[in-house]
Amino acid sequence: MVENSATAAVKTKEMIKTPSGFNIIWRELMRDKLALISLICLIGIAAFVYGVSLVLDQEEIVRVDLFAIYQSPGEDFILGTDYGGRDVFGQLIIGTKNSLSIAIIVTLMTGFIGVVFGLVAGYFGGHIDNMLMRILDFFNILPFTMIVIAFVAIVPTYSVLTFSIIMAAFLWMGIARLIRSKALQEKELDYIQAARTLGTSNFKIIFKHLLPNCSSLIIVTMTLNLAANIGLESGLSFLGFGFPEDTPSLGTLLSYARNPQTLEYRWWIWVPASVLILILMLCINNVGQALKRATDARQRRG
Amino acid sequence: MRKTNLMKLLFALMLSVLLVLAACSKDSSSDPKGNDTKTEGNAGKDKEKDKGEILFSQDDFEMTTSNSGEPIGGTLNFGLVSDSVFEGTLNWNFYDGDPDSQVIKWFDESLLDMDANFTYTQDGAATFKTEPYETEEYPNGVTIEFTIRDNVNWHDGEPVKAEDWAYSFEVIGHPEYTGVRYGPDFSDIVGMDEYHAGKADTISGIEIVDEKTLKVTYKQSNPSLLTGGIWPYAMPKHIFKDIPVAKMAESDAVRKNPIGMGPYKVESIVAGESVVYSKNADYWRGEPALDKVVLKVVNPKTVVQELETGGVDMINAFPGDQFVDNADMSNVEFLANIDLYYAYIGFKLGTWDAEKKRVKMDPNAKMADVNLRKAMAHAVDTDSIGKKFYNGLRWKATTLIPPSHPEYHDADNPGLVYDPELAKKILDDAGYKDVDGDGFREDPNGEQLVINYAGQSGSDVAEPMAKYFIQAWENVGLKVQLLDGRLHEFNTFYDRVGQSGEDDPAVDVYGGGWGVGSDVNPYGLYGPDQMFNFPRYESEKNSELLAKGVSMEAFDVEYRKQVYKEWQQLMTEEVPVFPTLYALELVPVNKRVVNYTLDRNVNSLYEVGVTQEEPFKAEKKKK
Amino acid sequence: MWKFSLRRILIMIPQLFALSLLIFILAKMMPGDALSGKIDPNIDPARIEELREEMGWNDPWHEQYARWVGGVVKGDFGQSFRFKMPVTEIIGQRIVNSFWLSLVTLILTYLIAIPLGITSGRFNDTLRDHLITGYSYIGFATPLFIFALVMLWVFGFQLQWFPTSGSVAPGLEPGTFDYVASKLYHLLLPAFSMALIQTYSTIQYLRNEIVDTKQRDFIITARAKGASETRVYNNHILRNSLLPIAAFFGYEITLLIGGSIFVENIFGYPGMGQLLVESITLRDYSVVTATTLLFGVASVLGALLSDIILSIIDPRIRIK
Repeated sequence: MVENSATAAVKTKEMIKTPSGFNIIWRELMRDKLALISLICLIGIAAFVYGVSLVLDQEEIVRVDLFAIYQSPGEDFILGTDYGGRDVFGQLIIGTKNSLSIAIIVTLMTGFIGVVFGLVAGYFGGHIDNMLMRILDFFNILPFTMIVIAFVAIVPTYSVLTFSIIMAAFLWMGIARLIRSKALQEKELDYIQAARTLGTSNFKIIFKHLLPNCSSLIIVTMTLNLAANIGLESGLSFLGFGFPEDTPSLGTLLSYARNPQTLEYRWWIWVPASVLILILMLCINNVGQALKRATDARQRRG
Repeated sequence: MRKTNLMKLLFALMLSVLLVLAACSKDSSSDPKGNDTKTEGNAGKDKEKDKGEILFSQDDFEMTTSNSGEPIGGTLNFGLVSDSVFEGTLNWNFYDGDPDSQVIKWFDESLLDMDANFTYTQDGAATFKTEPYETEEYPNGVTIEFTIRDNVNWHDGEPVKAEDWAYSFEVIGHPEYTGVRYGPDFSDIVGMDEYHAGKADTISGIEIVDEKTLKVTYKQSNPSLLTGGIWPYAMPKHIFKDIPVAKMAESDAVRKNPIGMGPYKVESIVAGESVVYSKNADYWRGEPALDKVVLKVVNPKTVVQELETGGVDMINAFPGDQFVDNADMSNVEFLANIDLYYAYIGFKLGTWDAEKKRVKMDPNAKMADVNLRKAMAHAVDTDSIGKKFYNGLRWKATTLIPPSHPEYHDADNPGLVYDPELAKKILDDAGYKDVDGDGFREDPNGEQLVINYAGQSGSDVAEPMAKYFIQAWENVGLKVQLLDGRLHEFNTFYDRVGQSGEDDPAVDVYGGGWGVGSDVNPYGLYGPDQMFNFPRYESEKNSELLAKGVSMEAFDVEYRKQVYKEWQQLMTEEVPVFPTLYALELVPVNKRVVNYTLDRNVNSLYEVGVTQEEPFKAEKKKK
Repeated sequence: MWKFSLRRILIMIPQLFALSLLIFILAKMMPGDALSGKIDPNIDPARIEELREEMGWNDPWHEQYARWVGGVVKGDFGQSFRFKMPVTEIIGQRIVNSFWLSLVTLILTYLIAIPLGITSGRFNDTLRDHLITGYSYIGFATPLFIFALVMLWVFGFQLQWFPTSGSVAPGLEPGTFDYVASKLYHLLLPAFSMALIQTYSTIQYLRNEIVDTKQRDFIITARAKGASETRVYNNHILRNSLLPIAAFFGYEITLLIGGSIFVENIFGYPGMGQLLVESITLRDYSVVTATTLLFGVASVLGALLSDIILSIIDPRIRIK
């Protein structure tokens, strides 16, 4: 367990600076070659898509070209074209960028809501906890698909950001639950009790003592969530509630496979996106698992 | 340890490759399909015959199966293509979705037959004669006397009687009727209004003369009556008479054990999924050729495989976007007929006045200038759209009466042809010039002109097509943008276009489609007091022509043709909407099936048979 | 214990009430209603308006809601406009299908995941473990709908081992052996498609749990006493690690509901998930609200079940 509470900052993003925790994580990561390769791979892909999409002309890529419909991969188009004659490779790059952005935004937002919610509920306990948990339960019973479809129909502009907000609003419960139970355990420990007796304000205790001690759990959970959030929109695209096509995403490319002809004969449209999702998820997952091992002595490898 | 880590990665990669391979082991066979079909070379890209260049037209298809052989009885498997269940409202008087009608047509049918021009004939289960009905209140009324043939019986052996037919009118007109069928076809019957309002117990205009003879009197005689204006379906009164009208649609007589007078009887139903029919040997046209029919719902995503494996022998409609890849399916024959449909682009010219229940044109509407509308029509290359997006299965539309009505469709009217130069010239002449040099034209007053286009999502090609339209208008210098930057799903789309009368003022142009009825009369879509007149267009000439089309004189087909020819021309000049595409309906039929036809004026469902017990299976596609 | 369950159920009531209100408002905010799909020149718009008025769809939403709640209290969920029959009857038809699909999926998931999870945990950091973990990750990363489509294509059409649509073969008499067999046969492939790639959480949980338990003192003691390895596993480790899996049972319900939407769609299997999505697209609101509410009840009961099981097997989290 990470037992240091020295100088953690308030923001979740900076929690990683908790020295010894960070060191252990780093050491474990360096030791775990697979995780390291995954991390490098991940950074590489991210740098590539964000870099290249700066240069790429999105307008040009989503432009319909009647004379280039369903071209197979070749000289003109590295990965062929879709039914609108649009370059699949370009869409793949921008799509990966968008899907990554969604995953990151959703993860950060759910992380933020979940951590604050969980810490408050866990730390105060009693009635506050009870009330907050009922709210959480309520969100849990919401039929996710139905709500999201309804919101998609209602929001006037449907973009990466609005989509992420809608998603985040209904996906924060898992992490909140985790953090709460961790906080419940922690607050019984001596150092919190001591801080209380000293008259430290609740706010200070939560963010200066409790939060840093949950940091490793938060990082691990968020990393694993990030993996799950890649391709979040693919299911919705499949049901016909995906992004408009001038916002390419991996999910949109993937959902082209619902046309059986595309599934069978035009692999270049959906297979690269599937493989990319697979790689991204595996990479993030590998990193996440390594982090998890790092923070859990019993699972740590030699 | 490290080795195994690497192993893990390798394994993961291997599995993913396997998965991918499993998914697309057929990829390599994606050589150009349909070599025997017409191909059209494209100068620029001749090196590769990709699928976009394989073209079809109506001439490539037959309407009737060409297989020969004697039917042997047996079982036919019919696929109802739908990505949802069929609702199970299995009665002509209550159904409102197409899936249900596909189920009903096997066991119940219209009492009146139609010919190629959708006019009732004397060949059906009932014959009719008309006599004028002239009273002070209704000087132009007409009474139609129907006689049901003697050998027409319900599946339970009861004869189909005049009272059964009259009963349909009584149920649909009933104040507690829950379905959607009530409309002008019914309220035009003398006495129907009073009955519908609950003020009368009977309909005075309907008279049961004897067991097989029925007289129905209409307030106004017009040619539309005989082209689909009469409700031709009876319902078995002896079964329904004890069920309250409000509860009929959910009764077992509709949902679980419906009966009819058609060639096959319902044997069993799995709600929403499948129906088994058996032969009705007592069918009035003759003994049906099959022993059994099994109907099941088939998802459009798997319909090709079902056909290839013989899981179904034929289906109600083939998804057009899957055709090109499967044109060479070896065990079926593709039949085609012109669909009762046209796609169009509409211009919003006003709003709906809910008080007066009619359209209110707005002379200041953004699209009010006919030159602008014309230019926009000339700017789009619908011919290429049909070829590129639909491989010719949809093609350039010219007028607002599709060729599915051969007598009334004006084949000589070229419509507004693709001519971007002409479009530019029209805009220049009308004062739409690019004043501020941003590449887009301003309106004649020099104000920015940004046109909002509303499009419907749903089909795969919807978005590229919308994009294409916008690009085409951009090419003649008009700035058009997608409303809200995206396509709208069906409900939202029609809400904003104005299906409830509350038109969204943000919509300037929209892309719609109409299925046309058997009656050619376009009044329901373009009449000034019609909600479905989405462009909110009216003009004196339009109203006059539409009225003429259903006048007494129009019983003369030549006269009526002339009227609608003028109307089609008027629409080409005034452009409240312009048609973009006509469509083919495609039906693949297993090669063991004989006597099936898409010809709408032939009632030969009972003659459809199979020539062998097992369906043909598709040969493995060549690598 | 009983007190706890009772309290939870009581808390559930206002939650479901809030849920129904939210769903109702959302439904009314969505554009269109069940009649807007009837844009057909053969149907008179005046008749549509008349029907809207009759159904009370033009009333303010709170009046409609009050009417709806009034009905629900009496067990009447209203009439489905699309099917023209009572909502309860529609749901009755579908829920049976969904129940069996979920049950078979769950059984298959456990049949696949538990042995794999145990093997993976027992032989952690060996090749076997890596293979199993690799499989579960790939399952985690594979979109369900693509996988289901591929399964259908391979086993349904290429090999023709399984039926490809519907929940039962046409023309069978309900209640007969053939009928039941046909039902089971129809849901095997969809259930397998779901089960095969949804094993991630169970496998990983079990694996980590076993790895954890292995190093606990009592296991080390047992070993030191000379208990055979098999005995250690069967008597000590498994008992400790498997029980929490049972507790996840309740939570799995929510997961299954989410997955069933895709699988039902692809295999043309008429269940609740398909019903919900269709009803949303066609704006058949009475069905939407009733179905959503039912899903809500299912997940609340599932969570309750999980909590109860958990509190039985793990006294530490026993509820006060």
